[in-house]
Amino acid sequence: MNQNILLRNNVKVFGSGSQPMLLAHGFGCDQNMWRFVTPAFEDDYRIVLFDYVGSGKSDLRAYSAERYGDLGGYAQDVLDVCATLDLSNVIYVGHSVSSVIGMLASIREPERFERLILIGPSPRYINDAPDYVGGFEHADIEGLLDTMERNYIGWANFLAPVIMKNPDYPELAQELEESFCSTDPKIARRFAEATFFSDNRSDLAEVRVPSLIMQCSDDAIAPLQVGDYLHRHLPGSTLRVMQATGHCPHMSHPDETIRLIKEYLTTERGG
Amino acid sequence: MDSLLDTAPCGFLAFTDDGITVMVNATLLKLLGREPGEVQGKHIESILSVAGRIFYQTHLFPMLKMHGRVDEMYLLLRSKSGENVPMLTNAVRRERDGVTVNDCVFVPMRQRSRYEEEILQAKKEAEEANRLKDDFLATVSHELRTPLTAMLGWVHILRNRALDPQRVAHAVEVIERNARAQAQLIEDLLDVSRIVSGKMRLDVQPIDPAELIETAIESVRPAADAKSVRIQKVLDSGAGPIAGDAARLQQVIWNLLSNAIKFTPRDGRVQVRLERINSHIEITVSDTGAGISPEFLPYVFERFRQADQKLNRHHGGLGLGLAIVRHLVELHGGEVSVYSQGEGQGATFTVVLPLMIIHHQPAEDNSRVHPRASIVSRSIEVTQRLDGVRVLIVDDEADTRDLLATILKQYGAEASSAGSAQEAIAHLNQQPSDVMVSDIGMPDEDGYELIRQVRSLPAERGGNTPAIALTAYARVEDRLKAFQAGYQMYIAKPVEPAELVAVIASLLERNP
Repeated sequence: MNQNILLRNNVKVFGSGSQPMLLAHGFGCDQNMWRFVTPAFEDDYRIVLFDYVGSGKSDLRAYSAERYGDLGGYAQDVLDVCATLDLSNVIYVGHSVSSVIGMLASIREPERFERLILIGPSPRYINDAPDYVGGFEHADIEGLLDTMERNYIGWANFLAPVIMKNPDYPELAQELEESFCSTDPKIARRFAEATFFSDNRSDLAEVRVPSLIMQCSDDAIAPLQVGDYLHRHLPGSTLRVMQATGHCPHMSHPDETIRLIKEYLTTERGG
Repeated sequence: MDSLLDTAPCGFLAFTDDGITVMVNATLLKLLGREPGEVQGKHIESILSVAGRIFYQTHLFPMLKMHGRVDEMYLLLRSKSGENVPMLTNAVRRERDGVTVNDCVFVPMRQRSRYEEEILQAKKEAEEANRLKDDFLATVSHELRTPLTAMLGWVHILRNRALDPQRVAHAVEVIERNARAQAQLIEDLLDVSRIVSGKMRLDVQPIDPAELIETAIESVRPAADAKSVRIQKVLDSGAGPIAGDAARLQQVIWNLLSNAIKFTPRDGRVQVRLERINSHIEITVSDTGAGISPEFLPYVFERFRQADQKLNRHHGGLGLGLAIVRHLVELHGGEVSVYSQGEGQGATFTVVLPLMIIHHQPAEDNSRVHPRASIVSRSIEVTQRLDGVRVLIVDDEADTRDLLATILKQYGAEASSAGSAQEAIAHLNQQPSDVMVSDIGMPDEDGYELIRQVRSLPAERGGNTPAIALTAYARVEDRLKAFQAGYQMYIAKPVEPAELVAVIASLLERNP
């Protein structure tokens, strides 16, 4: 095993099953976001969590603006983790931008993956008139970058102590410490640009691994039209529109999220 | 309790994990110009800007869920009229009546936001300026080192091998050329420093621009010939005169010509054109060279910029020449502009200078030759002699003393040397000198201290000896300081033999 990759991507492996379930966090977060759903799969799967280089507790020294200038670099992180742990038949669960990252990884090495579970996916966030509705205009994303810039500069300095002195909430794991959202501002900006300015519509037809699209009923980031578009263009995809609203159902509605994933993995397997 | 919350000087809102707003105070509604029914029971996204919604989904909500609280978050809300309202947001997650809610407090920060924007902008500009300076410093080090390599290499060869006279001549020529190149770099750096500090002064005289251009062409001719680049001139001899500093304007033309030659391939062509247009003259230098990409065009005249910064910099140089050109032209009340159709398409630089207003003189004034237009050429023949002139050389560097003594003896002077201020005073006490040439930067007592001591001596012990300051500190204030301390003349290092001899001769003429 390549220890470097395990440290570089802060890889965590647990669970008593044999089939790997690899969960990939979205933009702005880290692997901790999965902790409301992983307990439901621990008994049946070998759970693999990781942080992309530049996020969470990954090794920032491994960051290169060039490699992570587009989503392909992030897909390589996924494949590096798979190769290091020698994973196959992977159930890949990706949130938000990690949906596309998972698709890209599965195009490069389809044999590694058995299923892709895509939570709030979008192949392109910016509208492309007249035929495509992504939900955003370029200026909206500029506004997001501005908001990030103003917040990240402060967070880099004060986030750590604030979280440390938070004894009122025992539900919060100690391991969180400074990791969540406290990325280097420049890295976060580049990740945001790679995410929101990307256009992966032409990659969809290349995907060979069957997938589940989990579309929230009211998601500002990935609206219903985007889910429909994906379903039409992604071969072998199943679309489920959730009752959950928002963009993070695995955090806001973990029960429904778990139920849909389990249903998909049991009833549609092999079909 | 409710009325207290409603009148609090900050917005308040509580939402569930579904994002549904379960409580909102009157202050927030007022800040956003909304009715209670438009917010209460609705998704929190309805009061967020588009950017705010993405940020809520990717940061605010995940952080609340994971950390239990958020402090000092910048969030863009949206008023009913569609206006973005920047808010400083604190939020905390808690159980109330068996339900998990997220309580948020919003403080408007319109003023502060604008102020923050300015600071961020300033930060970006500072970072960019700093980066450019770093690049520039790296370039300076590189450029200063390049000629040194050639010089030291040849010196080493000269010392260790017996070369035939032809090779020796070649070695000396290479060393000289590189030393001059380095001197030019240092001149450019000092010019930039003068420009930056606003201390560039012009010595304004009437100038004939055609003559100015001819002289500049002559000085770049060797470089052009070496590359077989043809210089074509179309000069309207009736254009002018203009008012300006001949040396500085020549520097402008020289820079544009050198650049054109540098970026033009072998057998290319450089054209210089001088025309009178209404009340100004236009000098155009165009070439058939590398051209300039449209992206770089706006930055051509900026300091520290060079188009190939990221490539292998195969053209060398500091990227200062054009910045100096712009400043000098602007100091003359003129303008410089550039035009290029793109890379490989050549470039055209145009300098526009105002014509001098002339009150016509009687016809016999045909001797209106500009006194400064013909700049002392590099290898000037020295006609003056210093036969029998007693020169005292003061410098702590033995090599410099040696060099100066050798030069002066060649012109017939009797040179003696002192390695310090103390030695110099002792020497003057013993025997008179006709002139003293002293370095400024010396350990212990420097050149300023020395001249003060000399000037306090009685006349019969050399107190009135004419003195020339010699130093590498070539700025205006350095010169001033030297004069104030008691020197009559000032020569910047590196010393041109011709200049040294001429200055000594003219000093002796003034002080017979």
